Amino acid sequence: MKYYLGVDIGSVSSNFVLTNPRGEVVEAIYLRTMGNPVQAVRQGLSMVMKKYPETTIRGIGTTGSARRLAAVIMGADVVKNEITAHAVAASKFYPEVRTVVEIGGQDSKIIILRDGIVVDFAMNTVCAAGTGSFLDQQAMRLDIPIEHFGRQALKSKQLVRIAGRCGVFAESDMIHKQQMGYPVEDIIAGLCEALARNFLNNVAKGKDIQEPVVFQGGVAANMGMKQAFEKLLGKPVMVPQQYHVMGALGAAILASESITHRKGSRFKGCGFVLEGDFTTRSFECNGCPNMCEVVTIKRDEEVLAYWGDRCRRWEASLTEQRPALAW
Amino acid sequence: MKTIGIPRGLFFYYYYPLWRTFFEKLGVQVVVSAPTNRRIVDQGLLTAVNEACLPVKVYYGHVLDLCHRGVDYIFAPRLVSVEYRGYICPKFMGIPDMLRAQIPDLPPLIDIKVDLSRDERQLERDVFELGKLFGSDRYKVKAAWAAGQQELEEFRRIAAVGFPLNQAVTIWERAGEAPMASGDKTRLNPGGENIRTGGEASEATPRSSDLTIGVLGHGYSLCDAMVSMGLVRKLQELGARVVTAEMLKTDEVEAYASTLPKRMFWTLGKKNIGSALWMDEEPAVDGIIYLACFGCGPDSLVGEIIARRVVNTPFMMMIVDEHTGEAGVVTRLEAFYDMVARRKNAV
Repeated sequence: MKYYLGVDIGSVSSNFVLTNPRGEVVEAIYLRTMGNPVQAVRQGLSMVMKKYPETTIRGIGTTGSARRLAAVIMGADVVKNEITAHAVAASKFYPEVRTVVEIGGQDSKIIILRDGIVVDFAMNTVCAAGTGSFLDQQAMRLDIPIEHFGRQALKSKQLVRIAGRCGVFAESDMIHKQQMGYPVEDIIAGLCEALARNFLNNVAKGKDIQEPVVFQGGVAANMGMKQAFEKLLGKPVMVPQQYHVMGALGAAILASESITHRKGSRFKGCGFVLEGDFTTRSFECNGCPNMCEVVTIKRDEEVLAYWGDRCRRWEASLTEQRPALAW
Repeated sequence: MKTIGIPRGLFFYYYYPLWRTFFEKLGVQVVVSAPTNRRIVDQGLLTAVNEACLPVKVYYGHVLDLCHRGVDYIFAPRLVSVEYRGYICPKFMGIPDMLRAQIPDLPPLIDIKVDLSRDERQLERDVFELGKLFGSDRYKVKAAWAAGQQELEEFRRIAAVGFPLNQAVTIWERAGEAPMASGDKTRLNPGGENIRTGGEASEATPRSSDLTIGVLGHGYSLCDAMVSMGLVRKLQELGARVVTAEMLKTDEVEAYASTLPKRMFWTLGKKNIGSALWMDEEPAVDGIIYLACFGCGPDSLVGEIIARRVVNTPFMMMIVDEHTGEAGVVTRLEAFYDMVARRKNAV
């Protein structure tokens, strides 16, 4: 059997999905990035490799904010932005989907599809308030495991109104309400609704939200958020079974699409990923007054990639020496 | 010979050929600040008022760059209006005052007021006064001004062929250094033709999709690669043909802008709205991106009007500020490009 591996390295979680050639999920792994994407890639890959030998991997796709880093380390066949990856994955489960709401660790996005094609999308702009990491932080402050956060919200009979416009205001509002003695589940339910309201007013502003609506990303684990969206939209909201790894699934599907056009994967193999010592360093290039901050990715002493040089002189120096790395 | 410094920011990208020609004809040596680099941005951020938008802060950096070069004067006009019944963002009016308040040991500022909202008489008077400063009589000033206007028209012709303003400035300058017939200037490849591809090409749908993306926003943000994070170049590298407001016919843009129920009184806002509506109805334009700077007053309105009125073409608003991490910009551009490409292939 041959498989495709999708890797989604996000700010909070790192996800790995192995699909068969029909695009069905055979393995899904959800890990915390813990601020160390290289470690996350290694850990995820070694977990996959325990069950599926290296030779069964036919192609690799990466997405998420560390998609380029992951691609360099592993040798990916496709590097794709999160919007496309999420849309592709949602269409896989729900071919009729017309709206995708995705809330991750630092990003939140809405994707509008018509007949399986993305026709519009929006992402949060300069502010990450109301995304997963804020919920994480609040769960920690209230000493409730984040996994139980949604369940708590569902217990609420009468939610408390929380200001959702800004994370700082939301937190102080929550503390005020808590110090007035409101039950914690009502505060949590209020927070969920505030975040959903904020999402609809900001990210989804002016978008034509039509059914079916699919809610995915790490925050979709929170039943309180699902309920809040259903209440505010007045429409049923579906959460796919693999909601937490949809980006990785999309990357795997995209990898399978690209491999059919080309032979052989660029996967560098397990040994390459698991054994070497990967380091990221940056330096200020003095070649011109731009003083670009150039990032260097190394495996032991071997330079894998240079990023950030606006003139591309560093990047080009690499591809000229070793054409094999020109991706 | 006296030297005058022109900061490479704000309306530089719209009027530099006029200013440069005018001053040179008066026998003044023109010094332009360096293309925006990290040092200029950092100095601008340190010096400028907090509430200003990024392009204004960067302008401060350019003024400081000129101070270090020891020029005799700095040209920082007080721009109020550059056309009848049209206005420029109020921050431009206050630029000379803001500079004087915040930069000690500033060389004398030439802060001639440009207000064409009613007529040109006041500007004419001020231009003659300015000429006197450099010892020129009325006839010489008149000739210098006329020569400047002529170069400005030449520059606009270059831009209209298909070059973003910053590229048009470079071409205009090169043309001045090595004179060629005016026909030759337009024979150059329109923007993007000789831009290198490859690199990150695998991140997006291949070039064969051949998309045309309209890019709007204030010229001084779009043309400054540090402010726009290389938006135009990134799109060109993805394989898109970029169309900007300057490449459209002025009268057509005006006609589309006048379909608004109320006249837009910001000159650049009007230009952007008119261009957006034109692009929205033009089948050859596959997508429109509007670049706004965080905290821009006019754009909070103009961007919103465009977002609501562009109905046929995919539209994306991008907001940039001081951050240097490009990941957010890259993700959005690639996603937009993919969307437009997949959509086009599906039709």
